[in-house]
Amino acid sequence: MEILQQLWQIICTLINESGLSRLSWENYVMVLVSFVLMYLAIKKQFEPLLLLPIAFGMCLVNLYPDIMGMPETQMLTEAQLIDKGVDPASYTTTILNGQTYYNYTENGGLFYYLYQGVKLGIYPPLIFLGIGCMTDFGPLIANPKSFILGAAAQIGIFLTFIIASALGIFTPQEAGSIAIIGGADGPTAIYVTTALAPQLLGPIAVAAYSYMALVPIIQPPIMKLLTTKKERSVVMGQLRPVSKLERILFPIIVVVIVAILLPDAAPLVGMLMLGNLFRESGVVERISKTAQNELMNIITIFLGVTVGATASGKVFLSLQTLGIIALGLFAFCLATACGVLFGKIMYKATGGKVNPLIGSAGVSAVPMAARISQKVGQEENPGNFLLMHAMGPNVAGVIGSAVAAGVLLSVLKV
Amino acid sequence: MDNMTQAFILLLAGFVVVFVVLILLIIIVTLYGKIITAIQNKGKKKKTKAEETARKIPKEAVTVETYEDKGDDDGGIPDEIIAVIAAAVDAVYGEKPHKIKKVKKSRNTRSAWSRAGIIDNTRPF
Repeated sequence: MEILQQLWQIICTLINESGLSRLSWENYVMVLVSFVLMYLAIKKQFEPLLLLPIAFGMCLVNLYPDIMGMPETQMLTEAQLIDKGVDPASYTTTILNGQTYYNYTENGGLFYYLYQGVKLGIYPPLIFLGIGCMTDFGPLIANPKSFILGAAAQIGIFLTFIIASALGIFTPQEAGSIAIIGGADGPTAIYVTTALAPQLLGPIAVAAYSYMALVPIIQPPIMKLLTTKKERSVVMGQLRPVSKLERILFPIIVVVIVAILLPDAAPLVGMLMLGNLFRESGVVERISKTAQNELMNIITIFLGVTVGATASGKVFLSLQTLGIIALGLFAFCLATACGVLFGKIMYKATGGKVNPLIGSAGVSAVPMAARISQKVGQEENPGNFLLMHAMGPNVAGVIGSAVAAGVLLSVLKV
Repeated sequence: MDNMTQAFILLLAGFVVVFVVLILLIIIVTLYGKIITAIQNKGKKKKTKAEETARKIPKEAVTVETYEDKGDDDGGIPDEIIAVIAAAVDAVYGEKPHKIKKVKKSRNTRSAWSRAGIIDNTRPF
């Protein structure tokens, strides 16, 4: 009889400790949301490299919230420590009312430690290092005017900031973090959000990466709406070849200028340009390969799961998330539209030599946005190759959104 | 309202800073591009004309051969590949009128060893 009672007690404890009794309905909803994201990542291949770890991190943290748990310090007496089977000599002591207590620290959850890389702003610049190693700034050096289009697309960020502030449900810091989604640059969005509004990191990261995956659906209608058939069929002249010396000097010059003028953008732009210098110098091929493959993959895993793990049910399932998703889409559309409109201005200014379609590539989303410019251009004129021309504004957009991030950080950081 | 004024100021500041920084980069990149091209052209001019004509690609290297394909129209080559080939041909021909009639996958008759040799010798770095 006693054995049965003990068995029952063990079963009761197990049930109490299991998710069945500890999780709230929000957690279950979030697990379902993560399943949807996993489906989108695997079946529809929406930015799977990031969306898959994000979705899984989201799933895991809602099933087992302690995985993000902070390390806790308890004050225990000597007797309690000995009960736990640990040696009191290895702990610091606090004396309170004549009684000696030992500061017993329990470790945090796995994701808590991995998340420090996000929280302290380490992962996004490291990702930028890898991106720098993979980016060819040649088209931008050959046609520096592309910088204008990269800047134009950032207008979307600041216009969205105004709208988000006007809604009244977001603080200026939160509004800034939401607006940066319009930069279409995941690492930048995460970097800004962790500094300004870390509580919104989950929804903002999910929105940013989802919209980047949806570039082929979101951009073409806006591009077609704002341009005429004649403008779309403009064939642009071939880009001039860029010498190796120019390629090597470019990252050095950019980092000097940006870091002096806008120190807050220095970590992102600095690492991007360091990576690019690795690539273009041609003397550190091993480092360059590691930065763009192994290092970047490792960081992507850590960044993905921990960003996903910030999306716990109570934070994610709120009216704010809906607002973020709507405003993020708005920011993205606006950025595309501003880029195309500036492309039109350049079309007029150059007497029809610039195809306005390359303007939409000013939102970062490398190289997807440039591919869309190519695709839409080719629909009008199958013999038109805009890809390399669109890569100019595209890589300028990466620098542009890092600069815009620097502006937001320097003004809004408390 | 105070919030809105702040937001508006940030909007203006953002525009100005982003554009100023990027326009500054345009000026510098354009300038140093010109300087470097000027320096490199100087060096090039010293070379004799004969050398330059020798460097020109022989005509037969750029003629596009047309193949007769039996039956299957595109030979199972994906559109992207055809686009890339067309772009390459376009880059070589430039302004001259040209037309691609057919793109056909060549049958690989080389042995694995000779293919490895070719890959080894034609790799850019």
